[in-house]
Amino acid sequence: MSDHFSGPRALSDPAADITDVYAFPAPDTPDHLVLVLDVFGKSGPSAVFSDAVVYRFRIRPVEIAAMGPDATFAPSQTEFTFDCTFDVPNGRTDTGRPLQRGRCLTPDKRTISFRTDDENGGADGSVRVFAGQRSEPFFLDVRMIEKTATTGKLSFKPKGSDTLYGTNILAIVLKLEWRKVLGGGPLFAIVCETLAAGKRPVRIERVGRPEIKNVTLSWKQFDQVNKNLEIRDLYNSEDAFDLKPDYFDVYRARMNANLAFHDQLDGKVDWPFDRHGNHPLTKLLLADFLVVDASKPFAETSYFEIERSMLENRRHGTPGGRWLNQDFMDFIYTLYVNGGNGPPVNDGVDGPIAWSSKTFPYLAPRNPPKAEAA
Amino acid sequence: MTPSEISASAVWPAFSPPRLTDGTIALLNLQAQIDGLEGHSTCAEAATLIDLLILRGLILGRISDYERAAQLADRLVHDAVTDAAAYMARARVRAVFHRFSEALDDLDHADRISLQDTAAKHERAAILQALGRYDEALAAYEDAADRGGQFEQVGTLAGFWADRGETDSAQRAYLESLRSYRGVSPFPLALLDFQLGTMWMRHDRLDRARTCFEAAIGRVPGFAAAQGHLAEVEAELGDPETAITRLYPLAAASDDPDYAAQLARILGEMGRNDEASGWCRLAGDRYDALTTDYPEAFADHAAEFWLSAGNDPEKALRLARLNIRVRRTPRAYDLLAQALDAKAAGAASARCSGVQLTHRAAIRS
Repeated sequence: MSDHFSGPRALSDPAADITDVYAFPAPDTPDHLVLVLDVFGKSGPSAVFSDAVVYRFRIRPVEIAAMGPDATFAPSQTEFTFDCTFDVPNGRTDTGRPLQRGRCLTPDKRTISFRTDDENGGADGSVRVFAGQRSEPFFLDVRMIEKTATTGKLSFKPKGSDTLYGTNILAIVLKLEWRKVLGGGPLFAIVCETLAAGKRPVRIERVGRPEIKNVTLSWKQFDQVNKNLEIRDLYNSEDAFDLKPDYFDVYRARMNANLAFHDQLDGKVDWPFDRHGNHPLTKLLLADFLVVDASKPFAETSYFEIERSMLENRRHGTPGGRWLNQDFMDFIYTLYVNGGNGPPVNDGVDGPIAWSSKTFPYLAPRNPPKAEAA
Repeated sequence: MTPSEISASAVWPAFSPPRLTDGTIALLNLQAQIDGLEGHSTCAEAATLIDLLILRGLILGRISDYERAAQLADRLVHDAVTDAAAYMARARVRAVFHRFSEALDDLDHADRISLQDTAAKHERAAILQALGRYDEALAAYEDAADRGGQFEQVGTLAGFWADRGETDSAQRAYLESLRSYRGVSPFPLALLDFQLGTMWMRHDRLDRARTCFEAAIGRVPGFAAAQGHLAEVEAELGDPETAITRLYPLAAASDDPDYAAQLARILGEMGRNDEASGWCRLAGDRYDALTTDYPEAFADHAAEFWLSAGNDPEKALRLARLNIRVRRTPRAYDLLAQALDAKAAGAASARCSGVQLTHRAAIRS
């Protein structure tokens, strides 16, 4: 048998691979903010968190620095971090899954202990933590997204096929009383990261906004500046709150090109480039953190409402952030393709296998393995 | 840094500075990845599943994983005939089964569909290396070098030099790869440890080989091939009891006959012929089945078995000749020479103590 490597895809650690980040005012408790970090998409029943990874939530108070075409955020230098770490599994849960003990280190250096898959989670005063396997809340039709990029034509079918249907992720859910735990606000910028543990943790991945690295940055063929460059590893290594100028133009060129590609999918230009040759959304999207207004009441479909209001010179009316059940692909394709100036784009997938609930830990219980389900 | 400075290193092999995911967790998550991708929906996912099955086959010594990967790859090419990734995936599986010329055909086909990327160039280089076409392999690795990550580049070269027996270069690349590794998965480093350990076995540096195999097992306790080679080294270093304790569970559970073959050989050398004969029969039957189904893939290991515990020089010679038709590497020539010697000598002894470890190690891959 051959001894050589089977390729980097197979050799990376799936438990460090962030799939999504969510931030929303708790629908069940006033004055509480909920943050969700999902890793290990399409994970089978034996999936566990890595003991060599720090799962980090970074939160900074943020101000709106400018409105209109130059809309921009100004995150504070003050940061609140929650670091979650896990032990090697020891024993089994009631459902037969490997049992892990975990802990969450809060900004004021308190440690909250918990056991994975325990729906009550661990709690300490104003912070509650859950970690475990849950149903994948995201839904999309990857084949038709790829076909759209390949053909240059919107390829969604009236009834699409959910690529993630019935799959599971590993989730960490933080629910915190934001006025007590965080300083400043009520507008906060949130980024989640996985880091290789050690004396000087090394960032493996970072995620703020959804579908930045995939839909918005991954296609290389439209980028006339760096057509052959895979920039996502480089992008991951950057601090979301402090993008270095060295590669900023690389990201900007790629994002401009890909946003322009999406804009022309309906045969008209809804997002004319500005006087500097940039797509109007590029600057806001490269501020790659979720912005949530914790003082606003919970809303179902509020992603990017704060940013849209900034572009339109008006005050925002929702918490922004991102709720688990929002049909994100419909939203983002409508935003990118016609900016709301045309009919909504529907990707043909309108929900996951199970909706998230409005009570802790919010995400639906994990789906049974395929064999069991069959 | 010069090779002599590396040789003088006080701590060797150097352990990687970053913390790695515990080996038990890594195996649980490898299983979880495979389970999660069953019923895959895209060509990319199917290709990933194939890669993961090959990785698990390599780590756990499961031939059934390779067989499943081969089935999936054939189906993938059938279903996605215009997708270069499908041919890439099948090339990887065919290389695992030592069907090197067909694997190269698949890579050529993938290249015609879309220009080969770095991964494809690496795959081609690895096949050329396996075929013993070292100069071409090195040129192909260098061609891909400007695109891959630093760890991938040096790690690949560590394996290349280890395969060639260039110990100083291999060791230098190995240390460099440890320094450049930024991941948390223990598999890449455990595989490197294993490749270096195999190199030291071939050079009869058993103390170093043991250290490398122990490092691999330290990172991934369930690494069957490393356990098997470590047992082989332990036996040769005068600790056969530890070796057979290590081999029993592997021989009983694995569908790869290598472990039963090693166990039979060591038990035979200890004079425990009754116990040895049972494992010998088991290994022989399994090698016969595997060389019928996959002659190219198992010709070398089966020939080795028939030269030692299996004690059938005729069969060994036939398989060694087949092996050299598949790839003309120095190790393939060594194996053929041993088979010819054994044939000329009439027969190997029942315990096969005449075949020395250096020779055995020289033909294992």
